[in-house]
Amino acid sequence: MDEIRFNTPTEKGKIDSLASDILKNVRINSGFLLWMGFLFTLLAACLAAYVIQLRNGLGVTGLRDFTSWGMYIANFVFFVATSLCGMLISSVLGLIGYKWVKPISRIAEIIAIAFAAVAGLVIISDMGRPDRLPYVFLFGRVQSPILWDVTVVTTYFVLSLLLWFFPMIPDLAIAKDRLEGRPKFLVKAYEILSFRWMHHEVQYRLLGQAVRILLILIIPTAFAIHTVTSWLFAVTPRTGWDSTIFGPYFISGAFVSGTAAVIIAMYFFRVNYRLEKYLNAQTFERMGRVLVLVAIVYFYFNLNEFLVPGYKLKTGDAIHLRELFTGHYALMFWGIQLLGLVIPIILLLFRQMRRPLPMLLISFFVLIGSWFKRYIIVVPAQAHPNLPIQGVPVEWVVYRPTLIETAVTVASIVLVLIIITILAKLFPVVPIWEMAEEESGKDKITQ
Amino acid sequence: MDKKEEGSRSNDLDRVIENSRRDFLRKITLAGAVTVTGGAAIYSGHRFEKAKHREGYVKVLTEDNRLVEIPVEQMRDFKPDLKMLQSRGREGIPGRKWVMVIDLSKCRNARKCVEACQSAHHLRPYEYHINTLVMQESVNTPAFFMPKPCQHCDNPPCVSVCPVDATFKRQDGVVLIDNERCIGCRFCMAACPYSARIFHWQEPSQHEADSEKEYNVELNVPHKKGTITKCLFSADRLREGMLPYCVSACPNGVFYFGDENEDAVTNGTTKETVRFSELIEKNGGYRLMPELGTQPRVYYLPPKNRIFEFEEGEKREYKEEKA
Amino acid sequence: MRYRAGVILCLMLLPSFAKGQDWVVPEERRGRLSTFPFNDDTRKEGERLYMINCHSCHGDPGKNNYIVLQPSPGDPATEKIQKNSDGEIFHKVSVGRGQMPSFRSVLTTEEIWKVVSYIRSFNRDYVQKVMQVITSSAYPGAVISMKLAYDEAAKLVSVMASATSETGTVPVTGAGVRLLARRYFGLMQVDEEKTTDNNGTALFAIPESLPGDTAGNISFSAQFTDEQVFGSVSKDTILNAGAVTIPVSLTAKRAMWNTVRKAPVWVILAYGLGVLAVWGFIFLVMFRLRDIFTVGTELRERLQTSPGNQEPPKNQQI
Repeated sequence: MDEIRFNTPTEKGKIDSLASDILKNVRINSGFLLWMGFLFTLLAACLAAYVIQLRNGLGVTGLRDFTSWGMYIANFVFFVATSLCGMLISSVLGLIGYKWVKPISRIAEIIAIAFAAVAGLVIISDMGRPDRLPYVFLFGRVQSPILWDVTVVTTYFVLSLLLWFFPMIPDLAIAKDRLEGRPKFLVKAYEILSFRWMHHEVQYRLLGQAVRILLILIIPTAFAIHTVTSWLFAVTPRTGWDSTIFGPYFISGAFVSGTAAVIIAMYFFRVNYRLEKYLNAQTFERMGRVLVLVAIVYFYFNLNEFLVPGYKLKTGDAIHLRELFTGHYALMFWGIQLLGLVIPIILLLFRQMRRPLPMLLISFFVLIGSWFKRYIIVVPAQAHPNLPIQGVPVEWVVYRPTLIETAVTVASIVLVLIIITILAKLFPVVPIWEMAEEESGKDKITQ
Repeated sequence: MDKKEEGSRSNDLDRVIENSRRDFLRKITLAGAVTVTGGAAIYSGHRFEKAKHREGYVKVLTEDNRLVEIPVEQMRDFKPDLKMLQSRGREGIPGRKWVMVIDLSKCRNARKCVEACQSAHHLRPYEYHINTLVMQESVNTPAFFMPKPCQHCDNPPCVSVCPVDATFKRQDGVVLIDNERCIGCRFCMAACPYSARIFHWQEPSQHEADSEKEYNVELNVPHKKGTITKCLFSADRLREGMLPYCVSACPNGVFYFGDENEDAVTNGTTKETVRFSELIEKNGGYRLMPELGTQPRVYYLPPKNRIFEFEEGEKREYKEEKA
Repeated sequence: MRYRAGVILCLMLLPSFAKGQDWVVPEERRGRLSTFPFNDDTRKEGERLYMINCHSCHGDPGKNNYIVLQPSPGDPATEKIQKNSDGEIFHKVSVGRGQMPSFRSVLTTEEIWKVVSYIRSFNRDYVQKVMQVITSSAYPGAVISMKLAYDEAAKLVSVMASATSETGTVPVTGAGVRLLARRYFGLMQVDEEKTTDNNGTALFAIPESLPGDTAGNISFSAQFTDEQVFGSVSKDTILNAGAVTIPVSLTAKRAMWNTVRKAPVWVILAYGLGVLAVWGFIFLVMFRLRDIFTVGTELRERLQTSPGNQEPPKNQQI
């Protein structure tokens, strides 16, 4: 009953060294303030664009009656997709028993939290009447995928938050006495959030149960969040969206963009936080393997999605595919497929390319490709409806995003960076006690 | 036989009437605009026609379906409030199943339907509840004009996806949009295979003039920025026993409109009423994109036996009004 | 019906009709005259009606801005149209042919005459002849009435027309009669036009599938086709001659598109149970947090109440 962990001198020493490595970044320094100042200035400028949109209506965007979903929705899908990394890294790989994901699991959760939280806001920016958001809860129709989406995005956000927070409780308890020179509020916050953690056996057992429940719970929720997002398109009878493989297609795509985002974040923290010891080359190598695996799976779904309709060339599909392959969107389409998928797959098959810096560059291509991929899933399918577009102003026919909607989209990305920065700067970004357990061969939580 | 006549509600009076539909319609409009003192409102004004005139009195049908007589001087103009407009607008007209037939062999792209609709619903020239499209299915098949209103599907994909019950189907088949409820997510636009829905990207035209008006979901006026609008089958006119705006405005006899339960459709131009089933059967009627399973309430008659040349006419150019 | 394929609203057709035939108006109709004199009021009303019903094809009279069609609708102010007699114009507007629709159901007799009145205002040489009395009335001075009955076995509606005068009641024979069923937007002709026999009776076959109301009742109206001869007589009667029609509300069944109350049961269950299950577990996890806190509190109290018992655990310094 009274067994307290970490009570041998060697374990204490490990904790000390880990804590000093990891906690040295938990501080409010000038770099942090400068970076936040920059982000908030950018955010304010971009939010001015949103104010214009609120005042004048969605007409300030390039959206019109035919292409009525554009950059916002594409961005939303991208955010939802990227947020899926939390589930992939912590749950799938964690539950399988891979120990090497331990140092990056919290980074993955931070990314998941940030993207899931902002995804909800992105959807609001796309609403014609954001003031009526409460109607979704007051009059919600259980048949509408939007209601499902609102439900699962909220649930996934909460689960990600819990999955970030729960394993951090022992860390907070460890850290709360080692925060000399940090602001008082932070120490106080650590004190409260550590929930009287005493490193007691019973507490470990309770925490272990809770985390295991969360790890399992987040898998169906994560599948739901992205499957439902794909259903926003797949439940419509629109050519290009009317597909039965959209669920798995989106999920495999989400693994790709999520993994790429984690690799980029890993590299950033490795270099800026001097965490080379924990986010080591071996971890990058393994993440490279994960990325190439999920990218191949995604490539397989791409093949299905384009080859099968391309074989039959039904009227609508033929028009849609022509636009993608040789038409208006050809440059973007091939750019995404080659630079964002095929070439990264080929490169990542080589060990030399799975070193940190090449991985960073490849991941950038993959992540940007993922964003445009969402754009090309959302936009071109609307450009050629079943019945011809006639009798409308010429600028209604082809969708071109305006500066304002680009600014609002940038605002959402800035917001993601702000959340990631705050979470990664005020709290330990690599789990301390889990790493200590790892090194001492103990593993209570996932046993 | 006599028994049956007794059982009927007819007043057994020979009447010499002028064969005047217009008078009839006028009465309906009048009846639709009055109420009984005490708040009873008229629902089915057309039945008023059956009432016998008595000097100084007027017969009206109350909400609970009773025919009562009230002195003319006690009649008050009835202005329905939002609550009533909403509840009756969502309920629809019991016992009806509206159906439209569009005869493509007669459409010459006069666009009177479009204009009448836009004027009734306060839309800009490039905002359509109904549009006439120039269609050609393939290279060797003939080009034709196709008026395209909302198809008022019996399995409407747009209604399925609405998250807040803003767009809904009524018991009489009309698919309406309540812009007091609409959150502007545009999921319905994405789901509609007929591109029947439009969105108010900016302040609607005439929004200042309309701002004081009570919102009528059956007319969708006043419009609201950031919400959807669409063809309503002129639900406000149907309530008054009148044909939809587009149907009555057509100079070419293209549109038929009626109640499928009565198996009758009335031509908007000639006012001739014919059997719906016969019209469809004899002319090879069809519905758009049957493979989607949407089951539209709009039927088309093929563009055959046209006795005019197909002329596309001048290309119209539209410029977006900037706020 | 073949010519119904015609499309445009035309008041008048030029003699060069598609078949190359002149539009010949039956002899007995040509001499028909208005029963009221044309004046500024009738012309004004006629102009209004013209603008609604005729303008889209025939344009403004005298301006030759009628639309180009084959055959051409023509300008009503020109001689081609003005050389028609009043009766001929009336007939052509009323009956229609080819592209020119029939206006019988759109305009009343009086309204058609008002349109004629407006058209004639573009003809300076025109002098109106007004019909003084209904000279051709078959039963002068009599009140003509009709009686409708339904023979269920034979599926026939009989219309019996009779003329009552001081001398007694006689059947109206040889009169054209139409039977119309009342529908929501107007009257629908049932069966063909019939002529009354020696008993003044015309029989109309009722199609079995003709929908009535929930009891099978239909409101019928019988009309003489030639009101010139028999006057504007019409008779409305409700007969139990239709098929019983029980309207089914289109929103009665549960469906994906229906309101949330009428959502398919499996959707409600799947969504509801899914949300309940996941959030149930989330709350379970939250309780674990409370338990951790409770255990921690207990542990701390125990350490504080027995300070001398043992030295503080090392983790307190961590």
